[in-house]
Amino acid sequence: MNIKKSIVLRVRIAFIILSIFALAVIFKIGHIQFVQGEYWDKVSNDYAYKFLDVKATRGSIYSDNGSLLATSLPFYKVAMDPTIPSAKLLNKQNLDSLSYQLSNFFKDKSPSRYKQMIQSAREEGDKYIVFGGRTVNYLEKRKIMNWPIFRKGRMKGGLIFEKKEERFRPFNNLGYRTIGYINEEEKGVVGLEYSFNNFLKGRDGKAWYQKISGGKLRPVYDESDIKTEDGLDIQTSIDINLQDVTETALHKALDYHQAEYGTAVVMEVATGEIKAISNLGRTSSGKYFEKYNYAIGRQGVTEPGSTFKLATMMALLEETNISLNDSIETGNGTYKFYNSTVRDHHAGGYGMLSIQDAFEKSSNIAMAKLVDQHFGVDPGKFLSYIDDLKMSGPIGFQLYGEGVPKIVRPSDTEWSGITLPWMSYGYGLEMTPMHTLMLYNAVANNGKMIKPILVKSVRKAEKELERYDTEVLNNQICSEPTLRKLKIMLEGVVERGTANNIKNSYYKIAGKTGTAQILKNGRYTKTYVTSFVGYFPASKPKYSAIILIKDPKGHYQYGASVAAPVFKEIADNIYSRDIELHQSISEKYRAEKGVFPVIRAGKKDELMLICNELGISNHTQTEQSWVKTAVSGNSVKWKELEMKGKALPDLIGLTLRDAIYLLEQQGWKVRYSGLGRVVSQSVPSGTQVEKGKTIHLNLG
Amino acid sequence: MLEKLKISFKQNLKGDPVIWILVLLLSFISILVVYSATGTLAYKYMKNPENYLINHTLLLFLGLGAMWLTHNVNFKYFSRISRILLLLSVPLLMYTFLKGATLNEASRWIIIPIINKSFQPSDLASLALITSLASMLSKRQQNIQDFKSALIPMLIWCGVICGLIALTNLSSALLLFLTCMLIMFIGRVPVKYLAMLVLVGALAGVTALQLGVRKGTAISRWENFKESLSDPTQLGFQAFNSRIAIANGKIFGKGPGQSIQRNMLPHPYSDFVFAIIIEEYGMLGGIVVVGLYLILLYRGMRAVYQSEQPFGGLLSAGLSFAIVFQALVNMGVVVGLGPVTGLPLPLVSMGGTSILFTGIALGMIQSITRADSYGGQSVQSKVTTKTATA
Repeated sequence: MNIKKSIVLRVRIAFIILSIFALAVIFKIGHIQFVQGEYWDKVSNDYAYKFLDVKATRGSIYSDNGSLLATSLPFYKVAMDPTIPSAKLLNKQNLDSLSYQLSNFFKDKSPSRYKQMIQSAREEGDKYIVFGGRTVNYLEKRKIMNWPIFRKGRMKGGLIFEKKEERFRPFNNLGYRTIGYINEEEKGVVGLEYSFNNFLKGRDGKAWYQKISGGKLRPVYDESDIKTEDGLDIQTSIDINLQDVTETALHKALDYHQAEYGTAVVMEVATGEIKAISNLGRTSSGKYFEKYNYAIGRQGVTEPGSTFKLATMMALLEETNISLNDSIETGNGTYKFYNSTVRDHHAGGYGMLSIQDAFEKSSNIAMAKLVDQHFGVDPGKFLSYIDDLKMSGPIGFQLYGEGVPKIVRPSDTEWSGITLPWMSYGYGLEMTPMHTLMLYNAVANNGKMIKPILVKSVRKAEKELERYDTEVLNNQICSEPTLRKLKIMLEGVVERGTANNIKNSYYKIAGKTGTAQILKNGRYTKTYVTSFVGYFPASKPKYSAIILIKDPKGHYQYGASVAAPVFKEIADNIYSRDIELHQSISEKYRAEKGVFPVIRAGKKDELMLICNELGISNHTQTEQSWVKTAVSGNSVKWKELEMKGKALPDLIGLTLRDAIYLLEQQGWKVRYSGLGRVVSQSVPSGTQVEKGKTIHLNLG
Repeated sequence: MLEKLKISFKQNLKGDPVIWILVLLLSFISILVVYSATGTLAYKYMKNPENYLINHTLLLFLGLGAMWLTHNVNFKYFSRISRILLLLSVPLLMYTFLKGATLNEASRWIIIPIINKSFQPSDLASLALITSLASMLSKRQQNIQDFKSALIPMLIWCGVICGLIALTNLSSALLLFLTCMLIMFIGRVPVKYLAMLVLVGALAGVTALQLGVRKGTAISRWENFKESLSDPTQLGFQAFNSRIAIANGKIFGKGPGQSIQRNMLPHPYSDFVFAIIIEEYGMLGGIVVVGLYLILLYRGMRAVYQSEQPFGGLLSAGLSFAIVFQALVNMGVVVGLGPVTGLPLPLVSMGGTSILFTGIALGMIQSITRADSYGGQSVQSKVTTKTATA
């Protein structure tokens, strides 16, 4: 046979082979359609698959030092596909043991009941049974994963965990309204949860589920599932201790005065970071809780009252050449503009005052007269000062739903002859407490006005994805001399003016009281919004704060008596804890030099107690009870001290007492030499060590 | 007008007109089915379904363009080009495996820089190996019985390339290996040597499984297939849903765009596109597609009778077998004749480089048939005269 013929023959054989294959394909199609047809029709109804959404884990909200303010914790439904384990794995001993564990853990069925449940499901080919009437947390999940049969995992042991997220706020209602909360669809509705929802929510995935008997769904785990993308974390500027102090002080005052609502904001002068923000509103039952963000929200827009006199004073000092020692006649406490009367709070009036006194004593008449005199011709000029102070527009704060100031301008129809004098002492214009705080902070910050900031960064684990820096709104709100004068007067308010009830000898507070009558149905009533806004320590301002309490009942109705004490309480607390604020103490008063006690490792709750008692900032990253320490910024971070079965833990840094407890509990014996903490161990950590072995520890 | 068109086709589309028609028909079917099947994909990723349609159509045109370009190349050059590409594909395959291994996943793709398209080196290697094999076989026709000088190099190349592909993609390697056996059988390699080749293949396969990353997948897919033979409820998710699609289709199908299983079936537009064809166009549609591939095979292997030189015939037959064999394996998987493999249906499935390389292979077949229509000798003389004048 020649070559070509042979090749032709062979290629034909090959063609016939493939043709047979092709026929087999067609035959198989026929087989599926006609022989098995009914079966597949039935199955396609019974085993419907569904492509369902899988929720992504929502990101966490952190405080300034990394403490959790809100996080999503996973909880798990425990289920099993009893048809998966091999007969060998599911032997009597393992099954008995597993049934006992289930019964002992969930305490809802007897071991024999569980055993029966698994066996009968396996016999009937039921691919999905759920255990216990509740979800389990992560720690419990880890425990369950070690049970017999289950420890072989999903593919071999048939163990199924289904994750569900629940939102958890470790500090309960602290800063509740600012941190915010989410609705049932896991969408943030207020606060940061709402404003930063896009970052926090992550991206939901999708996965295949199989419908099984009883309308239940079983995850398929197919490669075509769309993976979820977990939400990003948000780092706020909130200092959790300060927040606690602020909220406590405000709450106490509100309770005492039976006020309608109150808000308190503490801001760091140099950075504009909001360190604490508390908003408490009265409920119908007379209790207070975080009802609404009055500090920044629309409902929080009010007439500022006397605290606005700072802006007035600034405009006067900038525009004219009046000096603080110039005198002004305030008369008997009433003064008429057209047919309306301006009143001072002091009965009988202040008479003749210096301008500085007029501010410190908060004379309305003085302000009204001065402004009318200097800006009466051109009120637009006065308003342009307010515009420069960013008090006439929204701040652009990081929370949605910000309140917008209301301000009447000369071109408006509501403008009248008394608008300007009234405005001079904080009436006829409305703004949020945050606006006022921003102004005082600017004075404290040597004239540089910065935008308040609540969220510092958006991060994914340790990686910073977006950073929000301090934003300067106005680099210099007024001239140096004016600034100096304003500071003198603000200090004077506390030293000898309206707020001298909060004067103390340890550090100086500078600020201004405010008492504004509440306008109801177009009439000013005998109810007030009291406030105090200022900064401290006056010599070198570190924090500014505003306290605003609306409608206090009872005897006290003034900013000085209602709001200022709250300011002082917060300031006192910060001052006592913040070493940086203190003037340096001379060498001889200092504690003995030498070795300070250090924390290296130990039992977490004990160490936390000590640190909290001593005011050492600390935070935790582990649920374990035994921890090691790491330094993170100015604070101590607790890390898990790993203990896994027979593996020797890392004992370095533990006290002898703790080390002995840990080792002997595991059945190891301990010998030691030296004094102090463990500096080395005879067997390296992580080594598998049998019970009864001796471990030698060196202390030092 | 029609006459003009006909002439212009004749001038530009050389080679076997039947193959051109077959390719166009398959491409048309591909567009129809892929458009229907990507509905879920578009929904899943919130994209406009037309995006996939346009993308896929463009790729098909790219494939056809590659076919047209290749068919204009004189097939005598393929032998030399393929040898270079074969040498090149060894480091490429190694690189793909190592890169994938560091990422701890089965990465079969490398991204071509600048144009930023992913490309599967195994496609290139397959094409190069088949061409080289045809060339080696044709050169050794006189002493094909001689084991040492004739067969050893071929066996080594088959072993090396299939083994390297098996590191990341076992089913492709197996398919290529079987195709090589088929080509050698056609190329008159004695059957006893082919039996030996099976041994080499088994050895290379086992080694590649141990070294490679696909062992677990291969074993679980095989076990799944074995179990499903006795109990259909044990079928994997994909196979299970493809059976339902086939059963749903009946004889005439549900009609274009009416598939329900496309929503259930993962990758209905690639590996399991044949299930959607049957669901929408019925058993008849399935028979038509199978028939189209068989005709393609028949036309492709005709070169064996016509060409005087064994290289052209062997190459054309080899490439036709490679394409059609893959198609049949894909369809066999869909209907349940074998375990799940992950091989696309040539020309029909959505997916970039696969279509491109199929186009090149078809272009090569057309280049050979084009030369044959002049007669093998005349091409030879034409080439020599050209070189003489040049």
